Amino acid sequence: MNALLNVASVLAQHPMHEDSEGLTTPSALWPEHYEIVFGGLASVIIFVLLVKFAGPVIKKGMAGRTEKIQKELDSAAADKASADAEAVSIRQAKGDINAERARLIADAEAQAEALLADGRVRLDAEIAEMRTRAAAEIEAGKNRWADELRAEISRLSSTAADRAVAESIDDATQQQLIETFIAKVGASA
Amino acid sequence: MSDARIEGYAKAMFEIARAEGTLDEVEDELFRFARSFENSDSLRNALTDEMIPADKRQAIVEDLLDGRTTATTTQLISMVVGSGRGRDLPAIIDHLVQRASSAKNLEVAEVRTAVALTDDQRARVAAALANATGKQVNLKVVVDPEVLGGIVATVGDTIIDGSVRTRLDQLKARL
Repeated sequence: MNALLNVASVLAQHPMHEDSEGLTTPSALWPEHYEIVFGGLASVIIFVLLVKFAGPVIKKGMAGRTEKIQKELDSAAADKASADAEAVSIRQAKGDINAERARLIADAEAQAEALLADGRVRLDAEIAEMRTRAAAEIEAGKNRWADELRAEISRLSSTAADRAVAESIDDATQQQLIETFIAKVGASA
Repeated sequence: MSDARIEGYAKAMFEIARAEGTLDEVEDELFRFARSFENSDSLRNALTDEMIPADKRQAIVEDLLDGRTTATTTQLISMVVGSGRGRDLPAIIDHLVQRASSAKNLEVAEVRTAVALTDDQRARVAAALANATGKQVNLKVVVDPEVLGGIVATVGDTIIDGSVRTRLDQLKARL
């Protein structure tokens, strides 16, 4: 401050100055008094005009910028909230997937167990049925074999009987049988 | 083959045999050939096989019967076999025998025995059957070892069975 006062004091005490064209000014630094008045008035007018006309525009621009920034802030906050919600959703979905996987595994295990149990029951039934059938077939086979054996014995006996009878019938017996037939048929009228 | 065609062949063969004056002999030979044809699968197959040419089948007949039957019998059988009617030969011959018997007012009597009958036995069997049935019979004897012993006689629908085979079968059935 003291320095400024010193500068002002030097300027105030500076003598009249004359330029190369012969014009003289009261100070090398300060203009004429009227120039200061008009300049000051012009400055005030300009300032007032700026306040009156440019002020609202600037104010409006600032308000718009503020509003835009606020919107961006709001959007960012909304995005953040959305991201948070999505993160929650993903976490939840992940949890759901784990739960679904666990449920599916449990279901599959239950079905496998049920199938296994059913298969065991069916297998047991089939084994029992096969055993019964095999026993029946063995029994039937025994009977069939016995029947076949009986039939074979019967056939062989029949053949043997035929042969024995055929061999036992000599020519005399043949003639006797023929004569007996003729006598019986001739007498049957 | 239809009955009309069988009857046609039988009538034609009957007329040929009668015209030749060998009806009785031919009829008897044909009857015995028909029974052999029925009982022999190989003979039946050889004479009815369409894959064998007709002249070959006729040659089989002629070789088989040459010297054993009259020429008329051989030619008649050869004609039927050559015309591709071998399968119907027994039916044709039975119609012929029936026709021949009817012409003489006789009933066909088929007699099966295990051994051949003498002429005397044939005459007495024919007389016994005529006595039993009340009809004069045209006796046709077939030697069939399956009979074993005795006689089986068939006159029309009547069967008189005095065979050992039947008695043996009855005995087996009872056992």
